[in-house]
Amino acid sequence: MEYALLQAVFLPLLLSPVAYIIGRKVGPTPAMWFTFAILLYTTILVINAALSGTVEEHYPWTEQFGEFGFLLDGLASPFAIIIYVLSTILALYSKPYMIHKFHEQFEEEQKIVHSGTGQTSIVESSSLSNYVNAKSGLYFALYLVFAMGMLGTVLATNLIEFYIFFEVMLIPGFFLVALWGDGPRRKIGLMFLFWTHAGAVVLLLGFLMIGLTLGSFDFADIKESEIPADIAMYSAVAISIGLGVKLAVFLFHVWLPYVHGSAPTPISALLSPAMIGIGAYGIFRLIVEFLPLTFAELSIWFHIWGLVTMIYGGAMALMQDDLKRLLAYSSISQMGYLLFGIGSMSVLGLSGAEMMYITHGIGKGILFMMAGVVIVKVGTRSISKLGGLAGKMPITATCAVIGALTIMGVPPTSGFMGEWILFYGALETAIEEGSTLRAVTFGLGLVATVLTMSYMLWMLKRVFFGKTPEHLENVKEGSWYMTAPMMVLAGFSIVVGIYPDIFLKTIIPYMNGVLGV
Amino acid sequence: MATEAIGLPFEASSLSAWLVWILPFAAALIMPGVGKISKNATGYVAVGFALMSALSAASLLPMALEGHEIHKQIMWIEAIGLKGGVLADPLSVIMANVVGWISFLIMIYSTGYMKGDKDITRFWFWMMFFIGSMQLIVLSDNLLQVFFGWEGVGLASYALISFWYRDKKKDHVGVEGRTVLGMLDYYAPTHAGMKAFIMTKVGDVMMIAGMLLIFLFAGTFGFKELMHETEWATTMAAQGLLVPAFVLLFGGAIGKSAQFPLNEWLLEAMTGPTAVSALIHAATMVKAGVFLVARIGPLVFALAAAGIMADQFFEIVAWVGAITALLLATQGMVNNEIKKVLAYSTGSQIGYMMMALGVAGLSHQYVDGYTAGFFHLISHAMFKASLFMAAGSLLHIVGSRFMSDMGGLRKHMKKTYAFMWAAGLGLMGAPFITTGFWSKDAIFAAVYTSGNEWALPLYVIAVLTAVITAFYTTRMIGLVFFGKKSKHIEKMEEEGHHIHEASLSMWVPYGILAVLTIGIGLIGLSTEEGLHHLFTEYLEHSFGIYTEHVSSEASILPEFLQGLNPVALGSSLVAFATGIGLGYIFYIGRWVDPVKFVNSNIFFYSIHKVILNRWYLNAIIYWCFVVAPLWLARGVFRYFEKTAIDYGMNAGVQKAVGWSARVIQGTQSGVSQSYLFVFGAGLLFVVLILLI
Repeated sequence: MEYALLQAVFLPLLLSPVAYIIGRKVGPTPAMWFTFAILLYTTILVINAALSGTVEEHYPWTEQFGEFGFLLDGLASPFAIIIYVLSTILALYSKPYMIHKFHEQFEEEQKIVHSGTGQTSIVESSSLSNYVNAKSGLYFALYLVFAMGMLGTVLATNLIEFYIFFEVMLIPGFFLVALWGDGPRRKIGLMFLFWTHAGAVVLLLGFLMIGLTLGSFDFADIKESEIPADIAMYSAVAISIGLGVKLAVFLFHVWLPYVHGSAPTPISALLSPAMIGIGAYGIFRLIVEFLPLTFAELSIWFHIWGLVTMIYGGAMALMQDDLKRLLAYSSISQMGYLLFGIGSMSVLGLSGAEMMYITHGIGKGILFMMAGVVIVKVGTRSISKLGGLAGKMPITATCAVIGALTIMGVPPTSGFMGEWILFYGALETAIEEGSTLRAVTFGLGLVATVLTMSYMLWMLKRVFFGKTPEHLENVKEGSWYMTAPMMVLAGFSIVVGIYPDIFLKTIIPYMNGVLGV
Repeated sequence: MATEAIGLPFEASSLSAWLVWILPFAAALIMPGVGKISKNATGYVAVGFALMSALSAASLLPMALEGHEIHKQIMWIEAIGLKGGVLADPLSVIMANVVGWISFLIMIYSTGYMKGDKDITRFWFWMMFFIGSMQLIVLSDNLLQVFFGWEGVGLASYALISFWYRDKKKDHVGVEGRTVLGMLDYYAPTHAGMKAFIMTKVGDVMMIAGMLLIFLFAGTFGFKELMHETEWATTMAAQGLLVPAFVLLFGGAIGKSAQFPLNEWLLEAMTGPTAVSALIHAATMVKAGVFLVARIGPLVFALAAAGIMADQFFEIVAWVGAITALLLATQGMVNNEIKKVLAYSTGSQIGYMMMALGVAGLSHQYVDGYTAGFFHLISHAMFKASLFMAAGSLLHIVGSRFMSDMGGLRKHMKKTYAFMWAAGLGLMGAPFITTGFWSKDAIFAAVYTSGNEWALPLYVIAVLTAVITAFYTTRMIGLVFFGKKSKHIEKMEEEGHHIHEASLSMWVPYGILAVLTIGIGLIGLSTEEGLHHLFTEYLEHSFGIYTEHVSSEASILPEFLQGLNPVALGSSLVAFATGIGLGYIFYIGRWVDPVKFVNSNIFFYSIHKVILNRWYLNAIIYWCFVVAPLWLARGVFRYFEKTAIDYGMNAGVQKAVGWSARVIQGTQSGVSQSYLFVFGAGLLFVVLILLI
């Protein structure tokens, strides 16, 4: 199909004002369906393109930067599919959650107005439904831009293009957190903006080093040409740090627990599984593919950095009482798995890392949605105040268990398919190189899976099992808008777990090509 | 690879090999739907599918008993070139029948036991999932597929152990408030399920490391392929990785079969409904580990025959088994909860099987120990399932898990009483009439004649364990059925509860198994010889392990016992007599009061205390692997994450944020128009960049 990828990226952007107007004039439900329809259409475009193999589109751009293009190959297609599938189904989920949030904020603002000095403001004169309409219009408009930014990043074929999309997904992300987050949302939004922006600047530095040395920013040119080793090393380190902030690996993870904890839940469910993993995509594309020699030198550091992140994130997750913060630390730990796999420097290790992105997308998506259902239906996110919810919300509980199993890597969920391939890759390199260090990291990596299991099961136990506190007696199951997306993802997890060829068939040939096997 | 049915056109039976494990999964899948329509129907569906699965397994039996096998593969993960498949050889078919038929009986029992539970659909879902996973382990032809079943049983056990997830007081195990080294010895179902899952996961992690090591060198997970070409083993042995890889695989079996040192989850697994305990202990889960060793053991031995030595593997298996057998048997002597006694007994008996499979590899006659171990697996499956179900009936009727709340029940529950004796005699190894006797005797003989340096200490442990086994079984029966009625029962009767026999659907299944324990026991020797013969051929055909046919010299034994080892037979008889005699003195005849006896001197008292506190193993594990890591994580969270990272590293950011906050403050008006303006400006900016 002509212009399929161009449509997939820019249709959401161009139609976002329409979503705003629909929300504003008609109401949240039509805006939601409109957003859903756009994303569904574009998702189908992406999947359709992915099925027909590698797709490339090029459009003329400026002379300084090169071509503006999109590339959907074995590396990009799983990322693209997960990003858009999640965005699509989370659009449905957004409606009940955000309406709940708007109501909450409306009441809050009402209170402020009443306790004020009798100022008449727009808020007081407008009715609740107007308020909700306006906010939901804005929400869905931002949502579309956010989704489009993520997709653009993974399809970009030019460093500057990559950078632009990288920043485009940041801006709506910032607004979504700052406008409708929980807690000190503006402060946290700014923290998000600052950290990821700082990372992006370092990233840009690396890009400029490569681009100015070569005189071209096009991926195709970079791939062909030889970059001097020292420049390559400097830029690879800069790029790793820049992407490391996005991945929220150990030491650069400060922002993540705050942001994921505070963001409105559908956005957390996009941020965590879809967005931060794009850092890993960047490492694959920019370092593994374009700077293979530098990558060979750096890989052991990625490996260790990943391991530390896995264990650190898992240990911190054990200590959390806030459900969403627990999941946020879990995401940090999972990003450690990705980096660990990248560091393994073998075909299956790298493929495993990409499978981990997919499974993390599915599993963490489910779990954040679960947290959202709990927040909406129970009104608290403190784990110590929860308990025994399995009897009250069986569908949510079942989905949460499947999501947790996916993160833990228990077959038949997709998590296992990522995990064993990942660890196999790590072991392969360890044995081939005869490296004791790598053998130890392999062993400790396996220990980290036990840690992952511990915090996940403990979380499930405290939220869904055990005695039901009295104040939870009247809790009800979430609406279909909330449970159906979870069920779709849960089913998807099991399908991928039993038949991983869906993704492996495209990933493995790509990784073979990259590592020159 | 095409069908490898030798001689027979077994295209149809390969389907039944698939069906054995697919049917239970299919039942699990439709269960939620059935439950929506009618809760009563779920039980029939489950029993029906369990029966069909068992019949499929039975249909494979004639083929397997003739020594044939079915090996059918399909492409699974094409990207890596991995195939999945079924391998129905004599070992797996016999195992599939044991699992299938015992599960079927347990399912019938469950219809009575779980009657009226409002979460019955979930129960059946997981039970079917459990059986399906186990049959998947049994019939898979490669390790990766085995691992699916392996984790499947782990998952199902997690779900079923914490089935009563509301953590009501009556569903706990242990004595409330009792602590060992500061660790509470009282567990809620949800805690117990989690403990089981995580503890077995530790084993699974080892197993996966072993699997991956083998895959790295062999390039395949398939059992047949591994045996077909042994180049990989030579390479691995040269690098010193062969034994570690197999030991890591065995690590999985240690976890799943609750062997020392990962044995502690098994006790708390008693929080599940008793039908679940029966399934875990008799047919699925713990037997998976033994099956895995039976699966890979011949491979290791065959490699040794090819000059690639892996003796340490068998030594480790034998010793882990021996230590577990003794360690858990001792604890069975002192516990007051009937299900816990049975649980300890299971761990201990599994230890026997491991010991047999271990010494098999250390002797020249591999098939002796192999047959002994597997025969014991079969006989244990029968009598332990029977005992558990009978114990479930007791719990159901009496409403307490403590044996001190029972007593004097033999007049009220005659059938249960009789069946429990029959099955209990099997566990004790009552001479000549029970399966337990023959299989245990075979183990003794295998250990005794193995002719390696460890033979004697292992033999002593085996016999000692047999004495203890006979003692605790007698004690259990004595406490439950003999003596005076407990206060609990008297109170129940005063309140108008009538102590009566369990319902038909409950006593029939354990009755059948108890009768089988005796029935097969009567023809035990020929059963064992049949099995021996079958496995001799199987090992020869599939692994090239040849057995020397020793013409047994006429021994001093009478005609019908020819072929038995007189020393083994003698110690077996003595062990049984000693154990049951001591048990009779204390608990049936009640000539000596055991409490007074233990308190009579400091030696007995301290031993009793150590054993009662589970050799402190559980408490130590909790201190090292739960308390300490949590303490460490808390420290890191408080002093590193919350200070160094949040206030150290983030401080600069905080300041910068504060500064930029002042700049941006203007936009934070709360008026959506202004946000929209910013948003529009951003959009314009992006479009402009794109257009330049």
